Amino acid sequence: MVPRSCLLLLAALVLSPWAQASPGLVLVVNARSGVDRLTLDDAVNIFMGRYRQLSSGMAALPIDQPDNQPEKARFYRLLVNKDLAEINAYWARLIFSGKTSPPHQAKSTAEVLDLLARQPGAIAYLERSQVDSRFRIVLEFER
Amino acid sequence: MNGKNNMKSGRTLLMTLALAMAAVSPAGAAEQMKQEAAGNGFSLHGFGTLGLARTDDDDAQFVRDLSQPYGLTSRWSAKVDSMIGLQAGYQFNDKLEAVLQAVSRYHSEGNFAPEVSWAFLRYDPDPTASLRIGRLGTEFYMLADSRLVGYANLTVRPPPDYFGPLVLSYVDGIDGAKSIPLGNGLLRGKLFAGISPEKMYLGSGLYWDMSGSLVAGGHLDYLTGPWQIRIGQTRVRFDKGPPINEFAGLPDFTDQVPEMEVAGKWTTYDSLGLVYDNSPFQLQLMLSRIDQGSAAFEDSRAGYVIASYRTGNVTPFIGYSRTKSEAARFTSTPPFPYGAYATALSESTHADQHTWFLGARWDLRKDLDLKAQVDWINGSPNSVFPYREEKIPGWDGDMTVFSLALDFVF
Repeated sequence: MVPRSCLLLLAALVLSPWAQASPGLVLVVNARSGVDRLTLDDAVNIFMGRYRQLSSGMAALPIDQPDNQPEKARFYRLLVNKDLAEINAYWARLIFSGKTSPPHQAKSTAEVLDLLARQPGAIAYLERSQVDSRFRIVLEFER
Repeated sequence: MNGKNNMKSGRTLLMTLALAMAAVSPAGAAEQMKQEAAGNGFSLHGFGTLGLARTDDDDAQFVRDLSQPYGLTSRWSAKVDSMIGLQAGYQFNDKLEAVLQAVSRYHSEGNFAPEVSWAFLRYDPDPTASLRIGRLGTEFYMLADSRLVGYANLTVRPPPDYFGPLVLSYVDGIDGAKSIPLGNGLLRGKLFAGISPEKMYLGSGLYWDMSGSLVAGGHLDYLTGPWQIRIGQTRVRFDKGPPINEFAGLPDFTDQVPEMEVAGKWTTYDSLGLVYDNSPFQLQLMLSRIDQGSAAFEDSRAGYVIASYRTGNVTPFIGYSRTKSEAARFTSTPPFPYGAYATALSESTHADQHTWFLGARWDLRKDLDLKAQVDWINGSPNSVFPYREEKIPGWDGDMTVFSLALDFVF
């Protein structure tokens, strides 16, 4: 009988390169935010402007990818199953009744990365392959 | 208050905001990054609707709400639903913001003269709380403070059976809101108070000056998953009553029938709202009760439900709304002809009808939609309050409304 640890090792060796290369959208924060995990409800509250206080007490600063980046449409589909027109209609109600502002609209993915790295409360969605040591993954949408 | 005064108070608000903007110095370079992320600086947005609608009945004119002095006939008209709004904002830092909004729509003056609909300073002491001071849109019911923004709404117009009696669009005052996580959801509370600067057209060339009226209320929301539920109450104490004596042509009318006096009396608006938004399916259910402080207006109950299902860019919807008022009970027996006039005036605020409506919203772009809708109204012939220029006899309480709307935001 093969020891269980060997099986696990084998599984890890076989699966790990594949797992690393797997595409997927993840929600990341600045590594200094003091936040380790977020639930889907937390993410909805932050990006839909319902509640933007992180568990560390810091204010969350959500950042949107540019409209022409496919990540944006994919993110809102995964978050609330809505397309960008619906998201726009949602924000029209809040903007024109003087309530919460929508997430900061970045002009490029480079700006998203830059803000994430410099702002402790920043939170944004990225491709897993774009995540480096400056950021912490707090929620995974796709595997 | 006349239009000139209204403009003047708008201008005063504008100047106050400009001064406030000047008083707060721009933040240093170190703060700039943070400000950038928080969307700081100047912003300009707008919304609008180009609406076309007609009815099949010339015995009464259909209005979007009672702020409109005349309404739709059997000829196509862009009057009741068309509007444009412009909103300028200035974000000083992540806590302080100034917002100014002006809207041009067909309103009590009988024209499209622009009004300052919002002009406030907003201070968020932390991300869970917010305080606003200035001119604020009224939120008698859920979604009521965004009822002019067609692009944010599913139907061509908010159901008039429910929103029609809301003639007060804004007040000059303050409000405060706070959110607290509770269970798996979020509890949100809001309190507001202010003074109305508006007026209402009553017909026969007479206006009701509502300026000086105190409007105060609050609501509690609970949001969890796809559900949002709200319970709310707003109370209004009218400073001046409608010109009932002129209306009746009897100068001592309210002296003889004190129950018809409106000034100084409280009217209470209770409401319950429920939204279930589990895209692509959405459901809205609202109930309300208006308890009048004066016998001049009948107490009423209203409600509506809308269900929609989004398929690609098209969202078909179906809805039902209902309003019913109750005849005022006079405790005294005023002398002739005062009693008869009192009953007749009170009955002119009677509503008893329901509406089925069916339509679709087509999202052409992410800032543009096209809507088509048909409303089948079924009411009793004495359901006259929701309309203008009813022909008696003639009006049978039934009407069909055909509507098209192009909504945009920028």
